[in-house]
Amino acid sequence: MPESVTTREVIGVENKLRLQAEQQFAEELAELIKQDDRQKPPSWKLSPWAVRTYVLGGTLSNGFVVTPKYIGQSRLIEIAIATLATDRALLLFGLPGTAKSWVSEHLAAAISGTSTLLIQGTAGTDESTLRYGWNYARLLAEGPSRNALVASPMMVAMETGRIARVEELTRIPSEVQDTLITILSEKLLPIPELNTEAQATKGFNVVATANNRDKGVNELSSALLRRFNIVVLPVPERLEDELIIVQQRSEQLGRALELPAEKPALEEIRRIVTIFRELRSGMTDDGKTKIKTPSGTLSTAEAISVVNGGMALAAFYGDGVLRAGDLISGLHGAVVKDPVQDKIVWQEYLQSVVKEREGWKDLYRASREVAE
Amino acid sequence: MKWHVLGIRHHGPGCARSLQTALDELKPEVIVMEGPADAETILASVSQDMQPPIAMLLYPPDEPRRGVYYPFATFSPEWQTLRWASQHQVPIKLMDVPQSIHLALEDKKTDEEESDDESTSIVEEPIWRSDPIAVLAEAAGFTDHELWWEEQVERREHSTGLFQAILEAMTAVREAYPEARPRDLLREAHMRQVLRRERKDLFHSIAVICGAYHAPVLTEEALRSFRIKDDAALLQGLPKIKTAATWIPWSHTRLSYRSGYGAGVHSPGWYQTIWEHRQTAPMHFIAQAARLLRTADLDASSASVIETLRLAETLAALREVRSPGLNEINEAIHTVLCHGQDGPLQLIHDRLEVGDVIGTVPDDMEAVPLARDLEQQQKSLRLKRSSETKTLDLDLRKENDLARSHLFHRLQVLSIDWATLQPQQMSTSTFHEFWQLTWKPELAVEVIEANLWGNTVELAATQKAVDLAQKSNHVAALASLFHQALQAQLDHAIPAVLQLLQNQATLAADVLQLMQAIPSLARIVRYSDVRQTQANQVLPIIQGMLTRILVGLVPACSSLDDEAAQAMMQNIQQVHQALELLQQHTPREDWLKVLQQLMHREIHGEVRGGCCRILLDTGSLTDESFHRIARLALSPAHPPAQVAAWAIGLLRGSGMVLLHQDELWRMLDQWLIELAPTTFIELLPLLRRAFADFTGPERQAMGEKVKHLGVSPVASKLVLTGTESQLNVDRARLVLPTLRHILGLDAISST
Repeated sequence: MPESVTTREVIGVENKLRLQAEQQFAEELAELIKQDDRQKPPSWKLSPWAVRTYVLGGTLSNGFVVTPKYIGQSRLIEIAIATLATDRALLLFGLPGTAKSWVSEHLAAAISGTSTLLIQGTAGTDESTLRYGWNYARLLAEGPSRNALVASPMMVAMETGRIARVEELTRIPSEVQDTLITILSEKLLPIPELNTEAQATKGFNVVATANNRDKGVNELSSALLRRFNIVVLPVPERLEDELIIVQQRSEQLGRALELPAEKPALEEIRRIVTIFRELRSGMTDDGKTKIKTPSGTLSTAEAISVVNGGMALAAFYGDGVLRAGDLISGLHGAVVKDPVQDKIVWQEYLQSVVKEREGWKDLYRASREVAE
Repeated sequence: MKWHVLGIRHHGPGCARSLQTALDELKPEVIVMEGPADAETILASVSQDMQPPIAMLLYPPDEPRRGVYYPFATFSPEWQTLRWASQHQVPIKLMDVPQSIHLALEDKKTDEEESDDESTSIVEEPIWRSDPIAVLAEAAGFTDHELWWEEQVERREHSTGLFQAILEAMTAVREAYPEARPRDLLREAHMRQVLRRERKDLFHSIAVICGAYHAPVLTEEALRSFRIKDDAALLQGLPKIKTAATWIPWSHTRLSYRSGYGAGVHSPGWYQTIWEHRQTAPMHFIAQAARLLRTADLDASSASVIETLRLAETLAALREVRSPGLNEINEAIHTVLCHGQDGPLQLIHDRLEVGDVIGTVPDDMEAVPLARDLEQQQKSLRLKRSSETKTLDLDLRKENDLARSHLFHRLQVLSIDWATLQPQQMSTSTFHEFWQLTWKPELAVEVIEANLWGNTVELAATQKAVDLAQKSNHVAALASLFHQALQAQLDHAIPAVLQLLQNQATLAADVLQLMQAIPSLARIVRYSDVRQTQANQVLPIIQGMLTRILVGLVPACSSLDDEAAQAMMQNIQQVHQALELLQQHTPREDWLKVLQQLMHREIHGEVRGGCCRILLDTGSLTDESFHRIARLALSPAHPPAQVAAWAIGLLRGSGMVLLHQDELWRMLDQWLIELAPTTFIELLPLLRRAFADFTGPERQAMGEKVKHLGVSPVASKLVLTGTESQLNVDRARLVLPTLRHILGLDAISST
């Protein structure tokens, strides 16, 4: 029901494990709304320009500083916002760990003021998750009526003119995905039991996320694909961006786990990030040597977990300082996903790049120990 | 008298359109345009038969390599001016310093300094000179300078006062950043001198068309404020050489290179669309993109075209530009039509944004430099053009023949099919080449087309070879291209092709492919007549490939069928031979280690056997361990077919080494005896084939060996134990005559 969604927002925010975007950045959003004097599409809380400022960060005319939520190419965010402004549905595509859900959450929060109209796509997602279900007690007592109907987040979003989020769209079985076609093209949800339909209010839209590296998922039909504008979120382009992301997140996570290890040395992080980048791009950072890429995704998120695992090892079994030996097993595990092919790639990389590189001898030695 | 200075941007479609309107309005009696004065002679030949993109080419006739191009597209203001002038019969003059002076000045400079290969050396320039628009764009708060100019000038609907505005803007720029480079000062002085001369002819109205940057110094006031004496002094006593000018066909791809006018265009296809459709250019571009995708069997519905246009327009609004530019359009196409994939967008970039348009010039146009260069070489190498087919036997040890061979190979790179290489009749001689020559008139056209790549055969072949290499993604293709470049002696292409070969070798996932490339590369290093420096460059590539082969070989050998195993073994042998050939600089120890690993692995028998054999030959296997391995390999625990395969692998090659392995023969014998009759019959053809490759004498010796196999151990024991166990020799001798009789040795000794 529409009411239930809005009431959820206000209750005691402090002791929640994780805050919604609109809760965490409530102050920024409020300030942006105050300052925003540009034209807004119907039902939007902010103008497209203000949404861009919210996501990419910036300074408002009164000096208020908005933190950047997405570090990367601003044009991608612009395309995403422009897509939603033309009432086309948006599909954020990308490797795991490239901030798809993060962007979708913040877009929904900035545009509709809520990011909670969320449908998690799983193999078990059925039509009622996308359309509506029934309160069977009521249905039996009163017969089919609007009161007995349990609206899905999608239906709520349609009726209130807000953004609905669909996570992991490709995990939803194909026949259930097809339900979206009517919703996206007709902006209509028929309710044959009541001989009526739910019509979308202006401002309704869908932001879906999907992963383009997974195998065994349900490919989107071209009919559905045609109704989405697709923005591919890449892995961080610049080494510096990725370093910032990895260091910030691993420090935060280290704190959460109360790891006693010293703050991760930037040098070690730089090495991990460099290795990930080089293997991912198939070329050394100086652009001189080509290398093979492994089958795994090697996302920034994985780099974070390698550093984190290394810190735990260093803290509990090592001398508390993050060293090559602490990182190598995690690194090996992150790179070698396919025991045959990836191993070749990894060994080639070790032989041709790590072995030769100035100051990386310790890493090479550690890797030999793991390999043997 | 009316004096109009029309500052344009080279290759600006909006400028071209505004210029057209302006010329129609002003109706000048004479047009003076920026362009090398020595190209004036060929302006008269501008006609309907010419289809841009074409280029004006100026070159010293004796050194066509140093030619300078001035390319024009349909949307180039200069080209539109030429068209307008030819339609309205208005005389047109070129006012820039002639290339004959520029080239002569370069000569002087190269004499003074070091020789420089580039025909136009690019000097590091301050930003405001290489892109004066940048200054204005930054002042207007744009980070994308192109975008600013496009927004302000090229896509403007109403052109009234445009040229006045450009003039004023540039005047401001030039006041802030006065020109100081001698080359430009010289050019501008020359332009003013030409204008002063034209002014004397008392025309009523004159239109001066030049790059926007030069506009402020070419106005009527400027002619007055700069002193004639100064300008004349600058131009005094300049050296001059002879140049020739002609029109040649050009292509959209090559428009993006820097050339005579300095500025290149990166998206000629998009500019063409702007030129043709003005305000509706985005729509046309997107629709064309959709059609292009459909021809490539990709979905692109009309509904998607509409959505793409909407997204592009919304993006433009979000970025606060008036209408979508190429960035917005590309992003929208990427998002909607291409579903976020890069591949289709690349297709659109290559075919639409750049486009594969090639211009045409009338056939009677003066010979292009490449044709001249070819003629010169033909003359000096004493080769006649004849439509008769003729075969030529070249002895590459002779200087003249070698030069001819180089020329033919270069022409082959350029696909000018004058000479075709005949398959070698005698495979043994490596210094003979047989070529078949047939000259066809169509070849003239091919020469003109090839001129696109460069002005001399060598230069053109070099550029084309590099281009081909860049587009290729096959190790094999690159290796052959490399070979071709070597044969054609394209010294400047070789490093680039090598680099690409190296990259590709890294990416090649197939160990087999890498192994196949090794022998030919090794031969190049070992035997080729290439200069030592190049051999030194090939070696690291081979080493890199070997490293990858060493890593990948063991996994690559698992689960092979008979055929694949045979191929694999051949490759292993070839790589081994290559290693032996190269001797030093190779990881021979590691290679042998890998072979050891292979020998012990549960893989196809033939590979195991073959590796065992190589190790035996290199002497890295002691007799003892070899016997152990052979016993294991021949043990009945293995399926007979695998054992046979092992034997085949082991026996391949020279038989002499095996002859001394008595133990091996005994083990083989033992194994054969123990085979079940049906299995024996099954394996017989295989085993027969294994022995088929040995030479006759070898086989005979083996046969002898096998005959005495059962006897020899006893005999050897006899010899061994004879001295020790105090045999009664006298008594033993008594047996001998009978023994001789039984063995039939009496008959032999008596004959």
